[in-house]
Formats: sequence, C-alpha cells, structure tokens
Amino acid sequence: MPIIEVKHLTKEYNLGAVTGIKDSLRHTLAKLQGKDTWQRERFKALDDVNFTIEEGEVVGIIGHNGAGKSTLLKHLANITKPTRGEVIVRGSIAPLIEVGAGVNPELTGRENIFLNGAILGIPKKVIQSKLEEIIDFSELEKFIDTPVKRYSSGMTVKLGFSIATSLDADILIIDEVLAVGDLAFQRKCFDKMEHMINHQGKTVLLVSHNIRQVERLCSRVIMIDHGKILADGNSTHVCNLFFNRSNEQIKANVENSPNSNLNKTEDLDFKSVEIFNDKHDNTDSIECLSKMNIEISFNALKPLTNICFLIGIHTPDFVFLTATNSIDETHDYAPGEHRVAMSISSMTLLPGIYSIRVWIGTPEGKVSFYADNLKSFTITSEDHLLTRQQEMGLFHLDAKWKFESTNDTANNDITS
Amino acid sequence: MIKAATNLYTYRELITALAWKNIVVRYKQSYLGLLLAVLKPVMLMLIFTLVRSFIGIETDGTPYPILTFAALLPWIFFQESASEGINSVTSNAALIKKIYFPREVFPLTAMVTKLVELSISFFILAGLMAFYQILPTIYVLWVPLIIFYTMLIALTISFFGAAINVYYRDMSQLLPVALSLLMYGSPVIYPLSLVQQKLLNEKMAGEWSNHLYTLYTLNPLAGIIDSFQRVLLKGMAPDFNALLPGFILISILLPISYLFFKRAENWFADII
Repeated sequence: MPIIEVKHLTKEYNLGAVTGIKDSLRHTLAKLQGKDTWQRERFKALDDVNFTIEEGEVVGIIGHNGAGKSTLLKHLANITKPTRGEVIVRGSIAPLIEVGAGVNPELTGRENIFLNGAILGIPKKVIQSKLEEIIDFSELEKFIDTPVKRYSSGMTVKLGFSIATSLDADILIIDEVLAVGDLAFQRKCFDKMEHMINHQGKTVLLVSHNIRQVERLCSRVIMIDHGKILADGNSTHVCNLFFNRSNEQIKANVENSPNSNLNKTEDLDFKSVEIFNDKHDNTDSIECLSKMNIEISFNALKPLTNICFLIGIHTPDFVFLTATNSIDETHDYAPGEHRVAMSISSMTLLPGIYSIRVWIGTPEGKVSFYADNLKSFTITSEDHLLTRQQEMGLFHLDAKWKFESTNDTANNDITS
Repeated sequence: MIKAATNLYTYRELITALAWKNIVVRYKQSYLGLLLAVLKPVMLMLIFTLVRSFIGIETDGTPYPILTFAALLPWIFFQESASEGINSVTSNAALIKKIYFPREVFPLTAMVTKLVELSISFFILAGLMAFYQILPTIYVLWVPLIIFYTMLIALTISFFGAAINVYYRDMSQLLPVALSLLMYGSPVIYPLSLVQQKLLNEKMAGEWSNHLYTLYTLNPLAGIIDSFQRVLLKGMAPDFNALLPGFILISILLPISYLFFKRAENWFADII
C-alpha cells in the first residue's frame, strides 16, 4: 500500500483581501435570497494533482516559483485542507519546512532545542538522549547557553537544522533547507541528509531549486508547473526536462526584452555570439565529440588597446565548466566592428544544455565587457554510449583501460 | 469533546513546552520576574479598597481588601486567559503555517501560562489570610474544581474568539473592552451577597427582581467569584443556586464554541 496517496487534489485561493463586514453581510444576504452574488477571482494553486509514493521512495519536487510545490507540501503535512480531492498519508510525517520556524530569539540555544523538539513532536526523553549529538552537529558548544537573539543569522540556521534532523518520523518533508550556512556546513547538512535517505530507508520528499542536488539525492522527481504535474519519473530525465524548459523561458525572456543596452558598455557594444558546426552551419546544436566554432562580434566604441578575450561554458544553473582565454595574444582595436573566433577541435561535453559566457578586457584585469548566459546551445549525440553517460556527469574523457593479471601471461588491452 | 481531552493528553509535552516558553520569554529580562504577575491584582485591590472607603460597600464582616483580592484572583485569571487565548492563534502565525498539530493547543497553552501566574497570586492570598487571621477550612478542597470550571469558561470564549480573530482582527480589540465591562457585572468590587440582598430580599426591581437575579447569575463568573470567596474566606460550601444558570449556559456554549473552532481550523493557514 502506498504511504502517500494524492487523488485529484485541487486547491483554490481567493485573490484579494478578506472583505469587510459590510461586504460579507451583503454577500450572505444575497446568498440567502438565492441570488447569484459576485465572486472574488479564484486562483488555482493546485489543479487536479494525482500521484502515489511508496514507502522508502525519495522523491524530489521541482518547479519554478509559484508552481505549487509548497502548497502541495502543506497539504501533505496537513497544514491546510484541499478545496477538492483527497490526500491520504499513512504514517507519521515530519515537516522540515523552513528550518527555524519555531526558534525563539529570547531563549538560549539549549532551551530552543527542547522547545523545537516539542513543536516537532519529539518526546523530551529522545531530545535528552540526542542533546549531545545535536549540539555537536550545530558546532555551537560555546554559545549553547546564550540567547539566540545574540547569535549570527548563520548560527541560528545551524541550530535549526541540527534540531530538525534529529527527528524520527516515517516521512520527511524537506523544503529548501539544504541551502543553509557556509559551504562547509552545507556540505555537512548534505551528507547528513544523504545518510538519512540512504541508510535509514525513510520516505523523503525534497523540494529545492538546486536541481543538481535533487537529481543527486532523489530516485524520482515530480515536476510541477502552474499547479499541474508536468512530468513524473526518473530524476535525470525530469531534471533535464526542467532545464530545457527553464532555458526556453530564459531565451524567451532575453528575446522579449528590447533592452540591448545590457550588452553595451562604455568601451564596446557587444553584438552577438554565434556557433558553427563542423559543416560551418550557424546552429545552436552541436554533435558530441565533433568540431565547434564560437564566434563573437562586437563594435568598439573607442580605441581599445591590449585586449584579450575569454570564452567560457557553463550549465544553465551556472556551474562554470571551462574557460579559455587569449591572454598570450593581445590585440589593439580601432573603433568599428570586429569578429573573434575560437575553435574547439573536439567538443567533449556530454549531451545536454550549456551556455556561453564572454569576458573582454586587458590582461591586467580592466574589464571592457562581461556577461554570462549569452547564448545557449545543445550537445546532442546519436551514440547510445554517450547519451547514457549523461546521467554520470558532464564531460566525456578519452580514456583507455588496461587489465593485467599476474597469473596470466597474456595482457588484454581494451580501448573505449 | 472526548477527542479534545485525549488530544490534550497526547500533546501535553507540547503544551508544557509552549507555556514554559511564554513564561520564560515574558520574564526573562526583567528584574522582578514573576512578581510582576501579581502586580495587577495587588494594585487593583489597593485601588478598590481606597474607593470603597468613600462609597461604602457592605461585606458581611469579611475584611474588604481580602474579599476583593479573592474576587480578583479568579477574575483576572479568567480575563487574561480569555484575552491571551483569543490572540494565541494569530500570534503563532509562523508556526501555524509551518507545522500541523491540533490548533486548540494554542488557547490551551495561553491558559496554562496564566495558571502559573495565578498560582503565584495564591501566595499573596495566603499572606493576606495570615494577616487577617483567617484559617482555611476543609472547603478549600473546592478550589481546584472552581479553577477548572473557570478554565472551561475562558476556553469557551477563547475558542470562539480565536477562530473569529483569524478572519477579523476586530475581535482582539473588542473583547478586552467587553471583558472590562463584564467586570462591573461580576461581583468583583462588591460581593454577591449585596446583589442577593438588594434583589432577593429588598425586591428592588419589584416583580422582576427574581428574573434579574437569574440573569445576573447567568454570568458564570458571578457564581465562581462568590464560591471562591465562600470556600476560602468564609469556610462555607459553594452557593449552587448562584452557580447553576451560568453552568447550564457554559455546558451549552462550550461544545458549540469548540466545534466552531475545529471547523474554522482547516482554513487558519490560508487566511491568517
């Protein structure tokens, strides 16, 4: 039997403010007389959502802002009731929604641990036995008896996360909590979450805008858009779909904005980035492991001396992958239009969507122009071996294998 | 209602923790601490005693300061539990939007908080009793029951008011006004015996006197305050005739108020 069942879940909200007593009375009176009264505009936050989750599944929920992710979680956590439809949860549920919701600034760290424990429904005995562990994890031993109002914001969040992860429930709901604290602590939180997911066999629902994190932690991902489920399945597949969609959105946003000043600095007016394949066709789709040419053109507005270029590639979520610069060969430019081309002999990025960033300036660091996400392109491949690697990472390495065994005189060489 | 009682038991740790938080937060950075809690009844007692020296209120031989202090204890407990109870849901909006537990935990917590303050006032009362050399009798055993009954009344108002207050914040403004008016309709400044004497014995309002007295005792606080004074100061059993009308009213209203609260509860997170 599935641990979570959501059937035809629909949630509507009234738009606008709560009406005053006059309007409410008039409304009720008209209703009593059986008349059709004016209706406030209604907004469907969730629209006929159906899915089931089995015990032990780790499910990510992704979608852009306002897609209905948090509304969905609120229904699962029983915080709000559906307008129509049904939500069945078989098991205890622990919400980690926005860590630190129950942290009171007047109380000390230790007092807050007990208070939040009670709020999250953890028995006092359990908290007592886990107290050392919680304080240890939060890295706040020295400050644990100081009121939280004297903590830095990072310390508060650390405390909140440490309490929340000591929870013991059948279903964990995690909403954007991994993005807390400094990098080292984030790493620690991530490891702790991974441990909870992999070793304790809990059912976990994870909502995050960090798609890479979702992709890594979850076995299944549900993508929501405008209150509807757009995709539900294998995490890599759905995450890539999400990237494609948000890319289209970004492209559309860029094309819709007539604001070309964005690409104009006082030194130069950046015209375009163009991509050419091995057949010299202008394209935005390149075959994996084939030749790729990137050409940029710009209009120098004044004489520029000692200029070098940097062209880099990043993922749609801004993981900077590579960057190549022409620092060994600087040029002077007179006012007017110029083109610069960079040629890549073999594009070793695995199939997926990537974006180009460009930096123009002097080797000393004077910046004439810089922008990222200037142009998106797709790497494609018909080769099954390459597309399959897409789930493993971002790059293809030209690797060779060698196998040796001491009890066998023959060596086998295999190239891949 | 039975479910409410079991919930109360299941969530006792949460209620204790939240009430403890309320108290700690309120008094943490104050020098006088919990003594501030008894400031209000003591001040009111002094003022009433001063006023009484001008207008003269018949008290059946019990010293007036202790009589009015004994009236102020249940009254202030009731008034503050109800006011806090009404605000308890809206002031915990952050929690309501994040975590589910039965929402009646909030009004209940408000009351438990006030219960702690009430118990401190009891020390003052004990001091006054020692000063006036009034010895407690076996009837003191009624006190927990009377306090429990007061809690039910405060809850009736809290549940209803807290639910309304989520939708219309007028409630948190209007109720304190209404409650301070109710104080004059309760035997706080004057004893109930005075009302009985005027209405039942002297028939001040003619043939309407008996009805008026029933109307007066429909206010459950009338019976409570009188009983509180009787069992503590006079060594007498509570006056059940004075308690009955209010008790009937509350046993009808409390379930309605609770059901109203539970129905409204579903939309708290959306509206608040």
